[in-house]
Amino acid sequence: MAEGDRSPGSLLGIGVIGGLIGIYLANYLNMVTGTAWFSFIAALGAILAVFWGADAVRRVASYGLGTGVPSIGLLSIGAGQIAVLLGLAIGKFAGLELADPIIALILAAIVGIVNGVMARRVIKMNIAIMERSMTEIAMAASIILLGFSTAIAGSFAFDQIMAYVVASGFIIMVFIVGGMAMLHPFNACLGPDERQKRTLNLALSTGFLAMLVSGIAAGAINGVPAAVPTLIVAIVGWIIYYMRFWADTKQDAAAMLSTGLIPKEEEVMT
Amino acid sequence: MMFDILLLVYIVLGGIFIGAGVHFIPVGGAPAAMSQATGVGTGTTMLAAASGLTGLIGAGSAYAVSGGDFAYTIVLGGVSAALMISILAFIANVMYVYGAGVPLSSAKIKYDPITKWRQDLYVSRGTEGHGTPMVSFISGIIGALIAGIGGALVFFALAETYNKIGGFAATFQSYPAPYYIALAAAFSIGIFFLNCVMASYNIGGTIEGFHDPKFRRIPKSVAASFVVSLVGGLFALLILPMLTGGF
Amino acid sequence: MDPQMMVELGALTLVGGAALIAGVAEDLESDVGSQSNPNSQVQLAPQMGYLHRLYNKAISGEPASYPFYAAIGASTALAVLSVTNNYSLIGVFFALVAGAFITSLIHGVYATTSYMGRIASQSRFGQPVYLDVLRTHTPVLMAHGFVANFSVLLLTWVLIEQNLSPFPFVVLAFIWGIALGGVGSAVGDVHLGTDRYYQDRPYGSGVNAAHSGSVVRKAESGLRNSIDCAWFCSKFGGPLTGLGFGLVVYLHFWKEVVVKGWWSPVAGVIMVIIFIVMNVYLESYSRKRYGTYKEESE
Repeated sequence: MAEGDRSPGSLLGIGVIGGLIGIYLANYLNMVTGTAWFSFIAALGAILAVFWGADAVRRVASYGLGTGVPSIGLLSIGAGQIAVLLGLAIGKFAGLELADPIIALILAAIVGIVNGVMARRVIKMNIAIMERSMTEIAMAASIILLGFSTAIAGSFAFDQIMAYVVASGFIIMVFIVGGMAMLHPFNACLGPDERQKRTLNLALSTGFLAMLVSGIAAGAINGVPAAVPTLIVAIVGWIIYYMRFWADTKQDAAAMLSTGLIPKEEEVMT
Repeated sequence: MMFDILLLVYIVLGGIFIGAGVHFIPVGGAPAAMSQATGVGTGTTMLAAASGLTGLIGAGSAYAVSGGDFAYTIVLGGVSAALMISILAFIANVMYVYGAGVPLSSAKIKYDPITKWRQDLYVSRGTEGHGTPMVSFISGIIGALIAGIGGALVFFALAETYNKIGGFAATFQSYPAPYYIALAAAFSIGIFFLNCVMASYNIGGTIEGFHDPKFRRIPKSVAASFVVSLVGGLFALLILPMLTGGF
Repeated sequence: MDPQMMVELGALTLVGGAALIAGVAEDLESDVGSQSNPNSQVQLAPQMGYLHRLYNKAISGEPASYPFYAAIGASTALAVLSVTNNYSLIGVFFALVAGAFITSLIHGVYATTSYMGRIASQSRFGQPVYLDVLRTHTPVLMAHGFVANFSVLLLTWVLIEQNLSPFPFVVLAFIWGIALGGVGSAVGDVHLGTDRYYQDRPYGSGVNAAHSGSVVRKAESGLRNSIDCAWFCSKFGGPLTGLGFGLVVYLHFWKEVVVKGWWSPVAGVIMVIIFIVMNVYLESYSRKRYGTYKEESE
């Protein structure tokens, strides 16, 4: 099992609480001010969920899934997608749009548990944390989808998400970009000397890249001025965490050479 | 407005078809690129998705052109997926024969059950076969046909359901795609991934087709697909009563 | 022949051509990056004691990374078109270029993170991170990715414009991305994995599993780098991938444009049978031409 400085519990807390706060803040600040300038906060919430989801992927995929790391991310983001849209529809039906993200999160947990139980008990995959991981990743996926969708549409009301995110097809962009942001960090750092801090810094960096893309998409919906805060925050955040990832790589790699021949066997220290 | 129970049956059936279809598709995984394993060289999930979702494009066009004709949508979805994989496997075989210079063979069987050709003598040292011999080729076409039909069933059921929601015939800006097609397509892709990832976990690596011993694991996949697509399909269909004011 | 079908046939030709270019560029891009299946050998090499100067681009497999690029490109193009509101030929062209450009930047960033990440995670085997490899290879793969992605966006746009598919632009681009990645990793990778990485082994047999990881590290002159691999694969692997993806897209829509109604699936079935027959011929040819590896023992 993959060890790390940050415990799964604390990451779960960061992901769920941070993600929900971001989504709510963006929605209501936009509503109060009547603009779409605060959409970027929802994307920041989604990045915290990417942070959490990447660690959940890391924990389960370090057992070896037999089909590569990406499969579990795609499965969970597919589950999250259905949960999010049903959650929003239930909120609209009950007239309780305030509860939308929470309903979506609970539904995602249900689909995630079902998937985990099927994978562990029926298909008999020998991974002890399968149920928990599938649930966590599906929940993280639902926050990622909802966060980036809110960043695009400016609100998480069903009608807005439907008209701006689903009908335009951006939902599939959020699906794969959000999924990739979550599964790429561990996939890119796969190897015996993988380290949690480096993987998670990479997760934040890919999260900001996903935010950049959702900022571009937001330009199609709410106009260029609304997209500018998202783009600026995304670029600044990406630079910070990419540099941190670079520094971590420099620290962890056997050597970081500007050029050179292949080291001879006696030069390699083991 | 309550959704049609028959459409839920279609989704569950579609999910089972997708999961079962994946087992027929000959997947060599990474070793196939080094001519170390029989089958097409890609991961299980993605090969099934590549052919099945091409089938979904066919099913989508068929649904739009025929105005929602069930049989036409399903058949064109299945045939499009089968065509995709037959091209893919054939071109990959051209690569093996003319690019890598290896005959097409499998180490898991002594005689190809379809052509009755001897296999074991044509397997090079230290490998488990290379390319996609006839039995795997046919198996792949059957698998893609089934998976494509499954994807088309899911798409058809969802599109028929969302069709009934008021205002869902609108489109985004001036683009031709109506809301209900967009939503149905997005969910079909989601449900497709749910089922084919489950099936690929069941296979766990590589499979050569219906003659492979791993093929006997198919009942587990069917059970998992049944539950997963029941939950997923129910969630997707419940959007209808939620938006039309109750059951 | 009615004029509508003439227009659709023209669109079909354009789509098939774009698909062909997309396939060629996609395969060469994955060869520069050692992505997808042959990546397992590059990943394994340091562990076996074979340190190398090859690129290690693990942005998941090609069938997962290409829809990723296509979806970003399509979203960007859609956003540019919404903002400029210019749907003339030149407006659409530049929107697609903008989409492919933004994608190639993101592609480049992802490529560097996977090269550095994978190699830093192998530090116990002594494999260094070569910054010049990063500097020389990343622009090359970004450029190939640009061509591949632009072609996918172009073919998707033509299909949407001609009403040949009811799906939204981004969704259709995503699905063609998966199909392109599927063809690229199934066809082109074999040339790289079986032939180019094991050129010191006898030609005409699969790579013995015991030799896994012992990739060729020396070139005709100097050390082997991944750009050499793209040069090699551009002779057969790349064009064949292009042919494969071009056929997939072209025949898919041929059976819907040229024949209508229930004749479409019939045409599809006939094509499948033709491919089966061709495969039988190919298999028997390969067996007769190359012969057996072992003697008959019984």
